[in-house]
Amino acid sequence: MEIGFIGLGLMGRPLALHLARAGHALHLWARRPASLEPFKDVAATGHASPAEVARHAAIVFTMVADAPDVEQVVLGEQGLAAGARPGLVIVDMSTIAPAAAQKIGAALAERGIAFLDAPVSGGEVGAINAALTIMVGGSQDVFDKVKPLFDKMGKSTTLIGGCGAGQVAKACNQILTGVGVAAVAEALNFATRSGVDAGKVREALLGGFAYSRILENHGQRMLDRNFKPGFKSWMHQKDLRIVMEEAHRLGLALPSSAATAQMFNAMVGSGLGEEDSVAMLKLLEKMSGQ
Amino acid sequence: MRVGFIGLGVMGRPMAENLLRAGHELGVWARRPDAAAALLAQGARGYPSPQALAREAEVVFTAVTASADVEQVVLGAAGLIHGVRPGTLIVDHSTIAPSAARRIAARVAAGGGDFLDAPVSGGAAGARDATLSIMVGGAAAALERARPLLDVLGKTVVHIGPSGAGQVAKACNQMTMVAAIQACAEAARLAAAHGIDFGRVRGALTAGSAGSRVLDFFGGKMAARDFAAGVEARLHHKDYALFMAEAARLGAPLPVSGQVWQQLNALMGNGWGREDTSSLLRVLET
Repeated sequence: MEIGFIGLGLMGRPLALHLARAGHALHLWARRPASLEPFKDVAATGHASPAEVARHAAIVFTMVADAPDVEQVVLGEQGLAAGARPGLVIVDMSTIAPAAAQKIGAALAERGIAFLDAPVSGGEVGAINAALTIMVGGSQDVFDKVKPLFDKMGKSTTLIGGCGAGQVAKACNQILTGVGVAAVAEALNFATRSGVDAGKVREALLGGFAYSRILENHGQRMLDRNFKPGFKSWMHQKDLRIVMEEAHRLGLALPSSAATAQMFNAMVGSGLGEEDSVAMLKLLEKMSGQ
Repeated sequence: MRVGFIGLGVMGRPMAENLLRAGHELGVWARRPDAAAALLAQGARGYPSPQALAREAEVVFTAVTASADVEQVVLGAAGLIHGVRPGTLIVDHSTIAPSAARRIAARVAAGGGDFLDAPVSGGAAGARDATLSIMVGGAAAALERARPLLDVLGKTVVHIGPSGAGQVAKACNQMTMVAAIQACAEAARLAAAHGIDFGRVRGALTAGSAGSRVLDFFGGKMAARDFAAGVEARLHHKDYALFMAEAARLGAPLPVSGQVWQQLNALMGNGWGREDTSSLLRVLET
């Protein structure tokens, strides 16, 4: 199949390569030509604009940083919509606000272009191992059409509901992982400051009701003081900003998420933004004078 | 002086009336003609567009709702900027994002005019009684030209700094005040949980170290269970979205504000947005 891919960063590059290895012909556009280098040895064509990509592809994936980037690539001048052929499907795998996804979906529907929001969880490692969790919003028939391609990129793909529902699920994911990382960091710091071996605490808790993948994986990285990303703190800050904006719009109290969002603000403001979210531990230590 | 006023709502109308009363020639433009009727009856002159108003005024005041409204009135089609002459001064009393104020000021400066962000604190009563606090961002020289007019509108006029600085001060004002309202609501809730009359507690606290204007005013409303606005809570709620977004952009942690924001979200979810912010007490009673 002729497939477009835009956004060849940490996440997008391995995903596009999975599609190429599965025998699909790639059509690419990148702001920086260097991003196309890793595709020299696969069936991939570089194009001058997103519109050109759309002219050659049946399905186009986007994986960029934030809502304005998605809008620019999809609806901007020389954007995907400008080059769309009948039947084009655009699949956005970026994490953006549900309301923004709905706006883009509606604008595309007016032009007869199908749209799925399909944000992912699992990080760079999940992308490289094609083990992502993919949360999809859109219609069943479009989902069915794209599903075989999702299966090349992820281990678990779920159609959550209509347009924007994938982003709602991703927001829920970011609430759980953000608050979860903060809770694990607080618990391990509490153990250490109480003079107890935090590693033993973690090991004991893994067997009980406090077990979570975050306690297991992020907890271990905190104990190892391995703060390399992974998932950068500034990105988690951005995702929680989306959550808090939606809560504002909905008139919905999210006190734990709000506390965590402020912790991520402090991380970015104190120079920890480029480190993994497990560096929350360092912030907690600093806050209490260590 | 020939002055203009746009935004004749709860705050704008009494401010415009004070300018008229001080003997200034007042021109107005309003999206809905009936909003201007009272002022026209008092001798103000109506204009068909902000642009037309700007052509004939030396200083134009705006007091509208959000960043987008200010941008529309100042920079939009037939906006003020299209009628600006060298030296025309625009004074915006709206509460908007500092970054929006900076952007608009730069555009007005490019058009040969001056722009001050001058948000106010003091509510409708302060606007009526000309006792507002006015926090100003922009060039000192422009403020000196506006000062005789601002002295007609408020009691305290402070030059905070360059463009946007007035809006930063306003954000600080809002977060400090609403956090105090929340603290007041929690005190009222605690007193009630003990079966004690909050009115009496408040009376005792007023003279002590916990005494504050918020305890006097909002505490009084809570004690009386008078939740009629005052300041509509939805306006405070709107302000939180603005400055919390800026705080995220700047990497500034605001843990208490983050929590107060959630209480305001709950207030909105209960449908109390058009009632007074002292309704934060009712959130604690659900």
